[in-house]
Amino acid sequence: MKTALRYTAASVALLAALAPVYWLITISLKREVDQFSYPPAWIGFTATLDHYKEAFAGGSFAAYFGNSVLLAAISTIAALLIGVPAAYGLARFEWPQRWDDRIGDWILSTRMLPPIVTIVPLFLMLREARLLNSIAGLAIVYTGFNLPFVVWMMRGFFEEVPREMEEAAMLDGETRTGALLRIVLPLVKPGLAATAVFCLVVAWNEFLFALILTQTEAAMTLPVGIASHVTQYEIKWGVMSAAGVVAMLPVLVFAAAAQKYLVRGLSLGAVKG
Amino acid sequence: MKARRIPEGFWWVFPSIVVLLSLSIYPLLYAVKLSVSDRGNFTRLFSDRLFAVAGAQTIILTVVALAIEFVLGLALAVLIDSLARGRTLFRTALLVPMLMPPVVAAVAWRLIYNPQFGVLNGTLRRLGFNTAHLTWTSGESSALLSVILVDVWEWTPFLFLLLSAGLQAIPTEPLEAARMDGAGAWQIFRDVTLPLLKPTILLALLLRAMDLVRIFDQIFILTQGGPGTATETVSLYIYRTAFRFSNFGYAAAMSFVLLAATMIFSRGLLRVMRSR
Repeated sequence: MKTALRYTAASVALLAALAPVYWLITISLKREVDQFSYPPAWIGFTATLDHYKEAFAGGSFAAYFGNSVLLAAISTIAALLIGVPAAYGLARFEWPQRWDDRIGDWILSTRMLPPIVTIVPLFLMLREARLLNSIAGLAIVYTGFNLPFVVWMMRGFFEEVPREMEEAAMLDGETRTGALLRIVLPLVKPGLAATAVFCLVVAWNEFLFALILTQTEAAMTLPVGIASHVTQYEIKWGVMSAAGVVAMLPVLVFAAAAQKYLVRGLSLGAVKG
Repeated sequence: MKARRIPEGFWWVFPSIVVLLSLSIYPLLYAVKLSVSDRGNFTRLFSDRLFAVAGAQTIILTVVALAIEFVLGLALAVLIDSLARGRTLFRTALLVPMLMPPVVAAVAWRLIYNPQFGVLNGTLRRLGFNTAHLTWTSGESSALLSVILVDVWEWTPFLFLLLSAGLQAIPTEPLEAARMDGAGAWQIFRDVTLPLLKPTILLALLLRAMDLVRIFDQIFILTQGGPGTATETVSLYIYRTAFRFSNFGYAAAMSFVLLAATMIFSRGLLRVMRSR
């Protein structure tokens, strides 16, 4: 009896979590006449892919999608290229007077800056550099945004690899860089992949910077494109929901792939769940 | 005194330091310069009623949402942890709200909340409730609560996930010892589990609080701060001041208040993380 109650409670939570998402999906599939019918149709409506076609084949959402993909990829690769060596440096070398921890804390604290604090200066800086409304400008900002996360996460992963592994390789004539590339990195590959996934998701979902730094169609990301349609006078709910569903899918796929490291990523490495 | 040598590891860290100096510290100093360019910026803060309203609402939103999310998240963590099977299914499903783009989540909730054709009032009416007075985000008195509800939906999973991981990391011996001593389930939870979970609780609350004080995306889509100023928050007000009214100096001045609030939280956060 008590078990039944527990499963009921858990199922209610599950329904509450998924119902809004499910509703968004139904709206994206319903004909316009059915979207706001009364009583609300949770099941058994005529499904159509028209809104997806309108959003992506005819509309501008395909371009937004492309921008988002490009941006997420570039900024993630850049953050990894710059951040992984730093993480290794903090994890592996002798630092006097705990400077490794001091630098590590400083790097993490930059991540804690509220975006709204740096966005005004960044906007003015990019405007001066003529990088407003460009993928490049936003990619630079996202790289800086994800970098502290990469350093912090990868440092934890590197510290879990025994030093003896690369010391042995270096005695055999490997250089430090060679040992990192050939011995250590393969060992932390799952951690590296999880870190990359987190950066991708952050860049993919980010809204505030994208809203302010890209105001032209050509550079808009998917979240900004969706938002610009919501704030219009007449909202095309079907098209927007379709775009929303498409924006949501890659994140869920990635998250499923990195589930094992989710807690660690979300807690900045503090909980090794 | 011996000449200071640069530690070997420094060159590995150097590029990151340069990037963060130019993308975080330089903008921060730039913001200081902007805000002090006009002395009036900081005195205006104290007489700006809208800033006071936005500040108060940000605090209310943070405290209320955090309290609800914590209680629900902890309850869910304990509940799911006690299930014999299906744990992975529940855990995975609960992740969806938190991982989807906040903009998309907010769009879904606009569809749900709409008083005339939204599914929430539609379903309630179908069940026989009178929904005439249920205006959700478009009602002056209910808007803030409706925004909080969306945040609870979206971020309770975060608390749940962290607390759940914390629960699993608790050693079983103290729990068993307490059981042997004849302690009841509630007593064990209160006197053994909770104290052991404390570092995780603190960490989760601090991380969430830091995000709540800067809340922007959901409100921007749901209400744009309205109706009137019912859901105006500090981030939204700063955004409008800078990018609608082009008053960059005043926006920068206001953002330092937000920064101060965040620094208090991040201080605590670093302390908790160090102690683990």
